[in-house]
Amino acid sequence: MSVLASAALAAHTGKLDLAIRHVLAGLGHGIHAGRERGAGVEFSEYRAYAPGDEWRRVDWKLMARADRYSGRAAARDSHVAVWLVLDATASMLEPSRSVEGLDKLGMARLLLGCAGAIAQRQGDAFGLLICQDERAHFTPAARGPRQLQRVLAQLDRVDAAGTLPAGEVLRASLHFARAPSVICVASDFLDWPSPLSEAMLRLRGMRHDVRALCLQTEAEIAADFDTATAWRDPEGDNRLFRFGREARAGYARRRDEHFDMVARQCRAHDIPYVAAPIERAPGETLRAWLRKPGGRP
Amino acid sequence: MNSLWWWALPVLILPILWHRQKREQTTAVPLATARFLPASSPVQLRVWRWQDLFLLLLRCLLLATLVAWLADPVLPWRGDSVLVVPGTEPAFVDKQLRDVGLKEARRIDLPNRDAYRWLHEHEREFDPQARLLLVGDVAMPAVLPRLLHAVTLRPLASAPAASEHHVAVYGRRVEEWRRLFAALEGPQRYVLDGQAGANTELLIWDTPQAPPPGLRAPLWWIADATAFPELAKAPQVDGLHYLDTPRGRLWSAAWLPPQDAAAARILFETWQRLHAGTTPYTAPAQAPLVDARALAGPSGGALRNALSIALLVLFALERMVTHVRRR
Repeated sequence: MSVLASAALAAHTGKLDLAIRHVLAGLGHGIHAGRERGAGVEFSEYRAYAPGDEWRRVDWKLMARADRYSGRAAARDSHVAVWLVLDATASMLEPSRSVEGLDKLGMARLLLGCAGAIAQRQGDAFGLLICQDERAHFTPAARGPRQLQRVLAQLDRVDAAGTLPAGEVLRASLHFARAPSVICVASDFLDWPSPLSEAMLRLRGMRHDVRALCLQTEAEIAADFDTATAWRDPEGDNRLFRFGREARAGYARRRDEHFDMVARQCRAHDIPYVAAPIERAPGETLRAWLRKPGGRP
Repeated sequence: MNSLWWWALPVLILPILWHRQKREQTTAVPLATARFLPASSPVQLRVWRWQDLFLLLLRCLLLATLVAWLADPVLPWRGDSVLVVPGTEPAFVDKQLRDVGLKEARRIDLPNRDAYRWLHEHEREFDPQARLLLVGDVAMPAVLPRLLHAVTLRPLASAPAASEHHVAVYGRRVEEWRRLFAALEGPQRYVLDGQAGANTELLIWDTPQAPPPGLRAPLWWIADATAFPELAKAPQVDGLHYLDTPRGRLWSAAWLPPQDAAAARILFETWQRLHAGTTPYTAPAQAPLVDARALAGPSGGALRNALSIALLVLFALERMVTHVRRR
């Protein structure tokens, strides 16, 4: 499957869980080294079957007795919690100028969903933080398929609007950071420094594994936009911008300076920073984003 | 030449373009990375809708009227016509009309005998299919005229009208001069006066005395040049000295008054040719050449007054409406 077709497929798949399954099927297992292996080491309790549970974990004898699907939940505490942070500000609605129906928010949703699914497969607890319209929507971390359903439903529901929440709001939402966590941030990082960047640096300072995914479009990278159209900043005032010939060089220079600065700061704080165009196949981006720092590519 | 001004009509596009509505470009597409671009001012777009339609109409009319005024259009409003030279008998005109079969023709009285000049100047006023009949003592043109219309010419030579001319004679040989003028033939009658008046055309000075200072006449015949020493150095043709002075043109010769018939005829014909002008011959009954490419005559000017008034009114209205709109 070509790279473009994969990204376009992801854009056109209405159901997030289907798209996630598709991406993860191409990816295989073993992105992230779980601390414990196996579905369940020590039996903890029965619990009702939820969509997404593996069939082999269904207790068939119990089903025969009680006439309902029940799974054996393993008591398996992972020491790692995964936090999915989604920037859902208005600028994330930036569409791909080459792939119809694909935008940064859709790709961020898909990649975070994949990260959540991987965490669920590995038995890690995972939670979700959505920064949207000056507010932070917080979904507490938990394990299991239900949590994945919950997170995916949240991701599905989210609509990009407004700007990032203030620093205090974000700080109040990130009070979880006690146990060692992996924090996956998907954003366009157009605002830097911002409350989000400050929170990332602070969390990194608290020795959490913070991973930044900067979503871009190919048109932005090539500085190739229509010169006849008047543009406006979705998060700014109603000022107009034009993409003339002389503006193009300045645009490319300022944009490069900005993202160089972002990359430099991430490097300085030892935050893995991946900048990826949304037109790239989601599997590749996911692999680059979640691979072990300093490990094999 | 004037009709070339019609090519200026595209100038009407200018007010039509100027009156297009200006509309600020408000449709802007969101671009996340717009912050890396320099801000640009809103662009005023002109849309294909017009504002101030009344003013636009006035301005278009004003320009169109100006072009029409410059182009000086002539409407072909005359149909079949009979052109009558003054002095033609009505019975002759009626007979010619019956002969040619132009009973419904409109009668046009020409101002003078030079019918072809009048026709050339007014030819654009005639309908292309109009038939023209030219009746009377038409002056014969030097060359056969080329006209856009076919013209039937029915000439009638008429006797020149009798006219009276006043000649003032100062001097001794009044009887000799009287005999000279009495011997002249033709419809003109010459009246010899003792004193010059306002209608004196010729003044004959045949006395050694100097003329009084206020005496003036178009032409002086000086038989005794004693009082006019400047005539001795004046240029001469065939022994006749001539000089233009504030009191009039002076002719002087030693042989005045003429003693023989030949000298008298030469003097008289020279006078008539130079001062009274020649009388053209009556044109023969020949058909002028019909040439569709013949140049039309000079400006008609028939609509110029109406167009001037319209121009003035439109200009005043345009100024007033513009002023009201600004307030």
